[in-house]
Amino acid sequence: MIGESWVTTTFEKLEEWGRNNSFWPLPFGTACCAIEFMSVVSSHYDMARFGYEVVRFSPRQSDVMIVAGTITDKMAPVMKKIYDQMPDPKWVVSMGACACSGGFYRAYHVMQGIDELIPVDVYVPGCPPSPEGLMYGILQLKEKIERDTKKRRKREKAKRADDDGSVAAA
Amino acid sequence: MSSRGAHPRHPAPYRYTIVERLYLPLLSGLWVTLRHFVRNFFGRGKTYTINYPEERRLYSPRYRGHHILTTRPDGSLRCVACFLCAAACPAECIHIEAGEHPDLNIEKYPLLYNIDMLRCVFCGYCVDACPEEAIIMSNNHDMAYFNRGQSVVTKDELQKPYAYDESRLGYRPHYPEEQAQHAALRHGLVDLVEEARRQGADSASRTAS
Amino acid sequence: MPTTTAPLPLPERFPADSIQLREGLDQPTWIVRREILVDLARELTADPETGFDLLLDLCGVDYPDREERFEVVYHLASLRGGGRLRLKVPVPEDDPVLPSLIDVWKGADWFEREVYDMFGLHFEGHPNLRRILTHEAFQGHPLRKDYDPARRWILTEDKMYRPQPEPPMDAEDDMFERMTINIGPSHPAMHGTFRVVATLDGEIISASEVEIGYLHRCFEKMAETHTWQQVIPYTDRLNYCSSFINNVGYCRAVETLLNVEVPPRAVWARTILSEFSRVMDHCVCNGSSLVDSGALTNFWYLFQPREEIYGLLEACSGARLTVSYCRIGGLAADLPPDFEARCRALLETIPAFIDDVEKLIVSNRIWLDRAVGIAAIGGEEAVNWGWTGPCLRASGVDYDVRRDNPYDLYDTVDWDVPVFHGGDVHDRFRVRISEIRESLKIIRQLLDRGMPEGPFIVDDPHVALPPKEVAYNQMEAMIYHFKLIMDGIQVPPGEIYSAVEGANGELGFYVLSDGSGKPYRIKVRPPCFPIFSTFSRLINGGTISDAVVSLGGLNVIAGELER
Ligand code: SF4
Ligand code: SF4
Ligand code: SF4
Repeated sequence: MIGESWVTTTFEKLEEWGRNNSFWPLPFGTACCAIEFMSVVSSHYDMARFGYEVVRFSPRQSDVMIVAGTITDKMAPVMKKIYDQMPDPKWVVSMGACACSGGFYRAYHVMQGIDELIPVDVYVPGCPPSPEGLMYGILQLKEKIERDTKKRRKREKAKRADDDGSVAAA
Repeated sequence: MSSRGAHPRHPAPYRYTIVERLYLPLLSGLWVTLRHFVRNFFGRGKTYTINYPEERRLYSPRYRGHHILTTRPDGSLRCVACFLCAAACPAECIHIEAGEHPDLNIEKYPLLYNIDMLRCVFCGYCVDACPEEAIIMSNNHDMAYFNRGQSVVTKDELQKPYAYDESRLGYRPHYPEEQAQHAALRHGLVDLVEEARRQGADSASRTAS
Repeated sequence: MPTTTAPLPLPERFPADSIQLREGLDQPTWIVRREILVDLARELTADPETGFDLLLDLCGVDYPDREERFEVVYHLASLRGGGRLRLKVPVPEDDPVLPSLIDVWKGADWFEREVYDMFGLHFEGHPNLRRILTHEAFQGHPLRKDYDPARRWILTEDKMYRPQPEPPMDAEDDMFERMTINIGPSHPAMHGTFRVVATLDGEIISASEVEIGYLHRCFEKMAETHTWQQVIPYTDRLNYCSSFINNVGYCRAVETLLNVEVPPRAVWARTILSEFSRVMDHCVCNGSSLVDSGALTNFWYLFQPREEIYGLLEACSGARLTVSYCRIGGLAADLPPDFEARCRALLETIPAFIDDVEKLIVSNRIWLDRAVGIAAIGGEEAVNWGWTGPCLRASGVDYDVRRDNPYDLYDTVDWDVPVFHGGDVHDRFRVRISEIRESLKIIRQLLDRGMPEGPFIVDDPHVALPPKEVAYNQMEAMIYHFKLIMDGIQVPPGEIYSAVEGANGELGFYVLSDGSGKPYRIKVRPPCFPIFSTFSRLINGGTISDAVVSLGGLNVIAGELER
C-alpha cells in the first residue's frame, strides 16, 4: 500500500513538474492582441525560453488557452466549444482589455469579458498587453498552479491522515 | 488619367527563368539561413532575444503603463477631483467620488479614485486631461490579476503602485530626461544615431532588473 | 492626379427632379431618386475613358427627423478619369427598398449586405441579402439612431449559420467525391476570425461561402457615442498592423471639416511614421502569408524589422501597437529628441532583413510553384470588385492614393508606384516587397530635408488642448482646456470623404457632423472589405491549400474588415 502511493505521488509530482514547465498553449487570437501574441513567440521575446513554445492550434492537444483579442457574441459559441474540447486539466489566460472585460467596447456585439462564458485563471490587462506583460501573466499562472497543487496535496494528505485515523479507530 | 490605358483584362503570370526552373536559387536561400545559423551559433551575430524577466529592454520614457497618482510634498494627493480625467477617458473606467476638504481654502480631494485596469486601454487621455499633473503613467506593465475584483485599483494602490523611482516613470506632460537629451544634442555631446543604433533592439539596450 | 472637383454635367436624359446637384465640400454630390438609380449607374460607368469604374463605398445614414428617414450614400471614383462623385439616395422608413447595384459593380455585394444589416434597408435583386456583420440571433438594426449601443443579443450554438454552398448547375461535378468542409473561424489558416465553408469535388473547391463578422466591434456605433478626440484610440484598432495610418486618415478627415492647418512639423512626422507603419504592415502580411505556405524562417526575418519600428513608435507615443499618436490638429506630443537618429538607424537595418527574405523566396521554385497563378484576377475585374492598394497594383492597375490624390508630403518626394501584372499571390508578394523599398526611399528623402521647426499641434484653443504650462497659469487657457475635455471639439456641420493610402488600399473616412461634440456618423471605407468579398470567386476552382495561401496574400485584417 505504502509503496504504491509513494510511486504514484512521485509520478504525479513528475507529471506536474513537467506540465508546469511546458504548457502547450492554444492561442485563441482574434484581433490586435493576437499580433502582440506573435511578438511573444517570435525571436525578440521568445516564449520558448520557458518551454512554452509548442503552440498548438488544436484544442485537443493543449492545456492553456490564451484568449487574445475581442470576443464578439458571434464568436462566443465557438470559443465555448473550443474550451470544452480541451482536455483537463486546463487553464485560461485572458489577454488584453477586450477579452478581460470588453475594454472600451461597451457595445452591442462584444462580450463584456470572456468570464461570462468560461472560467478565467489569469487576467492580463493592457491594450494590447506588452509581450512582457503576457509573459508575466503566464509566469503568474505557473505560480498559481504550483500553489494550487501544493494546497491540493496538503488537503489530500490531511484527508488521508483522516481516513487512516478513522480506520485505525474502527 | 488618360495617360493610363485600360485596365488589363487578364492577369499575366510571372514566367520562370531557366535558373529558377532548375531550383538553383534555393542555394542562395540555403546560404542565407546557414549564415544566420553559423553566426548565431558561434555567438557572432546579434542575438535578438531578451531574457525577460532577468533582463529588460530600455523602455521609452513615454511608455503608457500602470497609472500613478502623484502627491504634493506633504504627501497628500495632488488630485482635486475635477473629473476631467474621467470625462476624457474613452473606456469610462475611472471612478471618482469627490470629498470637500475641511479647510475650505483647499480644493476638493478624491474620497474614492478607482481605475478598472481591465477596462483601461492605456491611451493616456487621462494624463492629457489632468490640469494638475495629478495622474501620470509609469512604464510598469507587469500586471496580472486573478479575478475581476482585484483589477479595480484604488487610490492607495495608485499612489504607490510599487516602489517606483525616476526611471520607472512613463507617459506624462513633461520629460526632464528628454530636455537633457535635447541640451546634449545642441552641444554636440552625444551621437544620437550611434545611440539609436545601439538602442534599436540589440543587447546593449538591456538593463538587468 | 488630383481629384477633379469641377461639377460634372448632370445627365440629361433623366427627369428633371430625379437628380439634384449639391455642392459638396470635397466632391460633387447628387441627390438621386431611387427609381433611376440603376439606369444612372449604368450611364455613369459607360464611358471607357471617364466612367466611374470603382465603387469605393456604400453606406447608410439615419436621419430620424427627416421625412425620408434613411439615406444611402455611394462614393464613386473613376480611376482613369480621376473624377469622384457622391450619390445620395433617400429612402423612406415605411418602404425601405432600393435597387441593388450588384450587376453594375460586383463590389456592391457585401456593402449592400452591410447596409441591410445595420439599417434594415432592402436591396431588390440582391441574391443573398443576409446579415453580414452581426450574428444570426441578432434583432434590430444597430446603426439606427434609436438602437441602444449596449443592447446585446446572445447567440447560442444551435442558432449558428451552417451554409451549404451549392456548385452552379453547369459545373462539371459528378457528385462523386463531394464533401463540404468548414474552415474557421478559429483556424490558424484563417487568421483567427474568418470562416470559409467549401464544397469540394475531390480536392477542388467547387463552391464556397465566406462568413465574416466574428470581430465586429461596432466601431461606427462607438464613434457616435464618443467625442471626436476620443475616436482616435478606436481608429487604432481598425487595421492594427499599421494603426498610425488609421490615425492619420481619421484626423485628416476631421481637420478638413474643421478647416485647420496642421503645422509642417506634424505633417512631416505623419508622413514618415505612416511610411514606417506601411513597412511594418507589409512585413507582417508577407511574413504571415509565407508561414501559411510553410516558409517559417521568413516570419522571423520579417518580424524583426517590425519589432524595431515598434521601438520608434514607442519612443514617440508610448505604445507599441495601438499608438494613438495623432490628435486632431497635429500630434499628441512632440517628437522625441532622437527621432531623426532612430529613423536613420532603422533605415540602415531594415534593408538587410528584406534582402534576406528576397534571397530566400523571390526566385525559389518551391514558393513560385505555390504562388504563381494562384488566386489570379485581372485588373478590370478587380476594379469592378472594388479593389485598391497593393493587391490591385499586382493586377496591373496603376492607382495609388498617395500619388493620384496626394496628401501630406507625398507630392514633394520622388518615388515610384510598383505595378506588376500577374494578379496572383506571387505578384502581391512582390508588390509589397517593392513598396517597402519605396517607402524607405520616401523616408530617406524626408529625413534629408530635415525636421521642420515649430509646433507639433495647431495653436487653436477650440481644437487642441493648450500647452500644459499655459493651462496651469492662465485662466482663459484653463477654461478652454476644461471645455475641450468636457464638451469635445465642436466640428461644424458638414460631410467629408477623405482618403489616405492605407497599407492594403484606399482607407477612406466618410465623416458627417451635425455640429455637436460627437460625430453624427463615421463610415470607414475599409480597403480589405471589397477585397475579401472576392475571396469566394478567387478560390473556387483551386485546391484548399491554394485557398490558404491566397488568404495570406490578400492581407485581410479582421479589425478593419469588420470594424
Ligand atoms: S485589448 Fe486592445 S489590443 Fe487587445 S484586442 Fe482588444 S482592442 Fe485590441
Ligand atoms: S489610460 Fe485611457 S482608458 Fe486608461 S484610464 Fe486613462 S483615459 Fe481611461
Ligand atoms: S486626476 Fe487630475 S483630472 Fe483627474 S480628477 Fe484628479 S485632478 Fe482632475
